[in-house]
Amino acid sequence: MILEPITPTVLSVRRLPNADPTLIAAYGGDPAKHTALGLVTCDQDDAMYVALDEATKHAPIDVIFAKSFYAGAAHASGRLSGEILGVIAAAEPAAIEAGLEALLRCLAHDACFYDADGKRTITVFPHVIASLGEYLSKQAGLAPGASMAYLVAPPMEATIGLDAALKAADVRAVRVVPPPTETNFACAWLTGTLDACEAAAVAYAAAVVQVAGSPTQ
Amino acid sequence: MSRTRQLIGALRDALGSADPRPARVPLPVIPAPPVRVYAPRPEVNPFAAVAARHTTALVGIGHVGTRYATDVVLQFQAELAVAHAAVGMELPDRWGEEHGLVPVVSRVTNHREFLLRPDLGRRLSDASLELVRHHCAKRVDVQIIVADGLSAVACMQTGKQLADLVVAQCHARGLTTGTLIAARYARVWLEDEIGQEVDAKVAMILLGERPGLGTGDGLSAYVVYGPKIGNTDGVRNMISNIHQRGIVPELAAQRLAAFAAAMIAQRKSGVELDLSALGGESSRTYREPQVRQRLVGR
Repeated sequence: MILEPITPTVLSVRRLPNADPTLIAAYGGDPAKHTALGLVTCDQDDAMYVALDEATKHAPIDVIFAKSFYAGAAHASGRLSGEILGVIAAAEPAAIEAGLEALLRCLAHDACFYDADGKRTITVFPHVIASLGEYLSKQAGLAPGASMAYLVAPPMEATIGLDAALKAADVRAVRVVPPPTETNFACAWLTGTLDACEAAAVAYAAAVVQVAGSPTQ
Repeated sequence: MSRTRQLIGALRDALGSADPRPARVPLPVIPAPPVRVYAPRPEVNPFAAVAARHTTALVGIGHVGTRYATDVVLQFQAELAVAHAAVGMELPDRWGEEHGLVPVVSRVTNHREFLLRPDLGRRLSDASLELVRHHCAKRVDVQIIVADGLSAVACMQTGKQLADLVVAQCHARGLTTGTLIAARYARVWLEDEIGQEVDAKVAMILLGERPGLGTGDGLSAYVVYGPKIGNTDGVRNMISNIHQRGIVPELAAQRLAAFAAAMIAQRKSGVELDLSALGGESSRTYREPQVRQRLVGR
């Protein structure tokens, strides 16, 4: 069925309550401030970025590392690798626990790709973040609390979809990543009022489904 | 619920949730079950086959495969329909007057209530009680009541005829019969109240009996000595199955009059009544077996 949610699979969740300072520094953290780490791998990178941002809203943690793996989950280096490794860091393990809880809840119930052609050969990620956390707001150069549409699709679909989204509502593109990215998808972050972001995301998803149904129209 | 999931779910519904539709899965060809024809098998048990000639009960009917033969089933359904129709039939309002009887009615007000409330069918309505008190002969030997009971069909067919025959038989024995009464919505025990009111020695109610398979027209007659409210069935004598294929009305009238005469002579009725004193009138003589009426063609 089209636009059926494809729930991300969490492949591994580990904690390091007292990580080595060298490791923390190598992964982008500040050893003076961070001692505990939480590490998660998952088969959907964009869902993970959204979930990491969600975690910053629920616990005093910093996202120190989050990178997509080349060519995506279908070409992973191992069965626990998936598409992304996310690392959150905090001063104490309790904060890591609270952050992981919010992160996993978001992956299970909120952020996910959707089936765009009924066969899961084309997928779309038309996610609306009502209120940005610290992580993505910094990445996007927006104030925490702003609304953002986080839009991802394969190259052709993403291009047609972005055009539709920009025309559908009063939104502004804060970041457009043309293909190829690490996973060979294309990405766009749009901001505006919450209503405008929602309208843009729906238009994006509808355009992707339309392209998936008639690719050579 | 996630807001994004709500939005995308609504979009899916707007686009038509099964579009593009999944490929049609071809259904496998299901072979037809093998056809088996069963021949009707007549009854093989000689005892049952002979017994079937002496009763209308469903014995010795054979089978087809593991089931009844179609004509047996159709006959059964037709007989059941006859019984249902007889229970559902109501005695017309003016039937009693038209046949020269005093029309009374029980405390029942409609047919459904009649079926559901036997207690109301055993007592006279106030108007009918007045009618009995003022229009019926008192201190008679035998008070005869014709009633609908559970088969108004039977009452309309042979009720009046049987009553006239009983009257003639009673007169032949020197018994007086009171005013003939026709009762609607009546149960057997109504005879107690009527008999008590007219101070009769014997009360006799002739009423349609509960229909059996194929017999919607059977009458029963209940006779009681010293009728009074509160009598039980232990003090009643009765004859059932009064119809042309069972006990014919002429024979039934003879026996009923003999019952009445014996009750007055012995001053009792029911289980205490000495039937041997009745002589040949009550003895069970040989009767041709009742034959089932074919209601459907073979």
